Amino acid sequence: MTAKARIRGVIIVGLLPALLVFTFFVIVPILWSAWYGFYDWKGIGAMKFIGFGNYLEIIKDPVFATSLRNNLIVVAASVFGQVPIALALSLVLRQSTLFQRIIRSVVFLPMVLSSVVIGIIWGYIYHPQIGILNSLLEWIGLGSWKQAWLSNPDISMYMLAIPIIWNFIGPYMIMYIAALQNIPSEIEDASAIDGAKPMRMLFSIRLPMIWDTIKVTVVLCISGSLKTFDLIYVMTGGGPAHSTELLASYMYNNTFSIYRFGYGSAISTSIIIISTVLIAGSQLLMRRNTR
Amino acid sequence: MMQTPVELKKPLAKRRMFPKVKISRALLNILLSIYGFVTLYPLIWLFLSAFKSNPEFYEFPFGLPKEWHWENFADAWNVARMGVSFKNSFIVTIAALILTLVFGAMAAFVLSRFRFRGRAAAMALFLLGMLIPIHSTLVPLFIMLKKIRLLDTYGALIFPYTAFELSLAIFVTIAYMSSIPKEMEEAALIDGTGYWGFFFRVMLPLSAPALSTVGILAFLRFWNDFAFALVFISKPALQTLPLSLSMFATGYMTDYRLTFAALSLAVIPTIVVYLVFQEQVMKGMVAGAVKG
Amino acid sequence: MKKVWLLAFMFVLTISLVGCSAGSNQAANSDKTPATTSNGDSGKKSEEKVKLSLWHNFTGNDLRATMMRDQIDKFQQEHPNIELDIQAIPPDGYKTRLKTVAAANEMPDVFMMWPGAMTKEFHDGNLIQPINALLDSKPEWRDGYMPGSFDSFTIDGNIYSATLGLTPTSILFYNKAILDQYKLEVPKTWDDLLNAVKVIKEGGLTPIALGNKAAWLAQSSIISSLADRVTGTDWFLKAAAQDGAKFTDPEFVQALTYLQDLWKAGAFQEGFNSIDNTQMEVMFAQGQAAMMIDGGWALSNLAANATPEQLEDMGATVLPSIPGGKGNPNSLAGALGSAFGLSSKVEGNRLQAAYDLIYALSGPEVQKMTLDSSNLVSYKAELDESKVSPIFSEVYKLVNSVERTPVYDGVMTSAGSDAVNNGLQELLMGGDPQKIAQKIQDAQATSLQ
Repeated sequence: MTAKARIRGVIIVGLLPALLVFTFFVIVPILWSAWYGFYDWKGIGAMKFIGFGNYLEIIKDPVFATSLRNNLIVVAASVFGQVPIALALSLVLRQSTLFQRIIRSVVFLPMVLSSVVIGIIWGYIYHPQIGILNSLLEWIGLGSWKQAWLSNPDISMYMLAIPIIWNFIGPYMIMYIAALQNIPSEIEDASAIDGAKPMRMLFSIRLPMIWDTIKVTVVLCISGSLKTFDLIYVMTGGGPAHSTELLASYMYNNTFSIYRFGYGSAISTSIIIISTVLIAGSQLLMRRNTR
Repeated sequence: MMQTPVELKKPLAKRRMFPKVKISRALLNILLSIYGFVTLYPLIWLFLSAFKSNPEFYEFPFGLPKEWHWENFADAWNVARMGVSFKNSFIVTIAALILTLVFGAMAAFVLSRFRFRGRAAAMALFLLGMLIPIHSTLVPLFIMLKKIRLLDTYGALIFPYTAFELSLAIFVTIAYMSSIPKEMEEAALIDGTGYWGFFFRVMLPLSAPALSTVGILAFLRFWNDFAFALVFISKPALQTLPLSLSMFATGYMTDYRLTFAALSLAVIPTIVVYLVFQEQVMKGMVAGAVKG
Repeated sequence: MKKVWLLAFMFVLTISLVGCSAGSNQAANSDKTPATTSNGDSGKKSEEKVKLSLWHNFTGNDLRATMMRDQIDKFQQEHPNIELDIQAIPPDGYKTRLKTVAAANEMPDVFMMWPGAMTKEFHDGNLIQPINALLDSKPEWRDGYMPGSFDSFTIDGNIYSATLGLTPTSILFYNKAILDQYKLEVPKTWDDLLNAVKVIKEGGLTPIALGNKAAWLAQSSIISSLADRVTGTDWFLKAAAQDGAKFTDPEFVQALTYLQDLWKAGAFQEGFNSIDNTQMEVMFAQGQAAMMIDGGWALSNLAANATPEQLEDMGATVLPSIPGGKGNPNSLAGALGSAFGLSSKVEGNRLQAAYDLIYALSGPEVQKMTLDSSNLVSYKAELDESKVSPIFSEVYKLVNSVERTPVYDGVMTSAGSDAVNNGLQELLMGGDPQKIAQKIQDAQATSLQ
């Protein structure tokens, strides 16, 4: 066997199982769903082909526009909130002292709790009458700042972004810790002996060494944010009056609540397109930054 | 599951290099403790709420239970048939987890170590899997699973779970694997271990931190999935936990006493799994890697 | 080392394969168990078992759910020749599940469904069949229903289901002690209500508790009755059918304005769009609000979440009358509850079995037991007052003494109702009634096409 043929064999054997399962159970349903998007279909009975009709409606749909705007807030909050916080936490929590281990586990905890629990708790934090936040404001003498945090459309989306950030910091922190562990300690030690200051070490050694991981987490942030559903569904249901509607909840509502299956599928395809554009953009930006 | 036979070396040496850091470190620890407590609180709250009666939950959502209603757990367990669903969730989650890790690691190995035609296309394809909102695939998947007679079997959950988690598994693992020095590969090949030998002996143990991260996330996703479990499984004997957990909400009212008791029981395995995998993440860097 | 991994890999494959087949075996076994045990020696005849699938959402621990599950068990024992494949689906996911199988045209044989929009869509998709023959074969059961009980299950004269319950949606609950404290009468007219709101608000209490997070509450509980008072029922039915009336007509805009005026008068507590109906009910039960406008479901929720003393203080009445309104003020919006539908694919001897099943789960006996479990029914059954709370008896009497008017989301299309729900949230944040009416009109008109 030639080396080339051997490598080809390795590539095929390595990729095939994943590719098969993935194509069959993910790609086919995605295409299938995209196909529904070209129909006027209630989800029951006859389907009527309307070409790009659903997409033309999406462009003009004010609720879609609101959902997109809200979703971009979530994306921004995730990328500029979760990534730096998780990175900072990973830098201070990457050793294995008992204290750090405990805090690390705790930071991750929100992930193990179901969104129902998270939603209920944050509901009580923001509760207009008996909420913790309002009581706290009262206590520190800022009673005039008290709010109905989740039903004031001017601020509700930002208030919702906080639990979303808090909820998903854990996994990113773990990914950064894993990547930081992978930096050969010789490199760090050597630069420390050279007298490199911690900040310099961070920017000239650590960040470049884990840059690939950071890029992946940004992709995860963007794609995850555009699919955000559970927490919003529990906390506000997208309301009041669509003011906290997100793309995924709007898609779900159309598909499963109001018998607009075709339109819901078109929204879902739009989510994929928007994600792709945002991810491509972010990767382009991050590539330039490394140089 | 994943053995790391090589001695670990903790890069703790750095700490003493910056003595000034001590004070700010103490301050930092205080801040971290506060953040930690705030974040731990929801779990404590969940466990405390599970002991309350419904009127008490509404009247005092934050206090300690006046009376500890231990029977909540037994009631929840029986009404929601949690014994059966625990078993099913374990089977489905573990099978899908193993498939995800094995297939994901193999694919990530190939995609991170070789440059070949179609590589970019394969990456783009796998990226797609992270973008689709899960609910829009319900109907197509339902029809497909029905056609291949997988509906209403464990397979109806195992394969879709695996497929949808592969994207994340592959991307996270690639990012990690590509930072492992290339020289090690050449060394291994000269040793005559071959590519798969290199994969199993070197790459997999070295990637343990990334795979553990993937493992934690995959476990959580599978364990908590409601949408697929709701639609693809109909035999009561095969139902998984998330269905049991939602049995106490009628649409007009949620029976929080039983819901929280059931949630408390269901969350315990996830905490255990997290702690176990986290150790793997931390053991992480194996000394052998750098020697290469 | 290599071997270990090979073994691991084999293990995976075996697990998934065994898992799949074990899954189906197990399912098959659990199906067979009752069959093989129950007819040991009844001969060959029993081998022709009739198979039926049944979907319901009685999964909880409340009285009604446990009662219904007992009835299903009882049916199985009494009909050894019918093999039921029962699926109890959590209510939160029930509709999603049902709509998925509807899209794939894989309906179960007998299943819970809702009147109005869902019945119509399933009918249009040719997924369900009428049960007139069953009703006609049990006249004493059919005639035991209250007038109008089949309305929103009827299409083109065919009846598709027989309801299991009645849900009055807009009852005005009041706290007697608080009204007494402020020397107020139970409000009979709109002015009474506005006056009560003013007095109670000045006293520092919330006049009316509201929990409109889920958005349907203001629609089902408030606007359905309030708008009926203003526009009359005929107008609404015409507007919903887009036949001779539109939601942009001045009477509907006026109804919206009434609701907005109530909000402007400070009737509701701060942040009502972010709390749910249970929190609202608790607020009312704990005496933090003098009134609330809520539906029949509140009764079982209150029974579960309020103390007996708190229940003692509660009274119930209809919404106040509107000056110059076209509707009958002595009426209450109410919807038929969910019921068992029958798949269009059921025929032959399975059809008879399905009829038996539906009758066993919706017949006179079950109607009576439903009532005794503190759930109202649309059936002439005598209430055993010893089994229910005083407030339940009061609501039961109220419902039986007034006319029933339609609930908006029971008549409108799903998209139309969705527009009303969101429109009311907007209205209660200060939105323009005229524009909101226009959105509702557009949604209803488009979805009817």
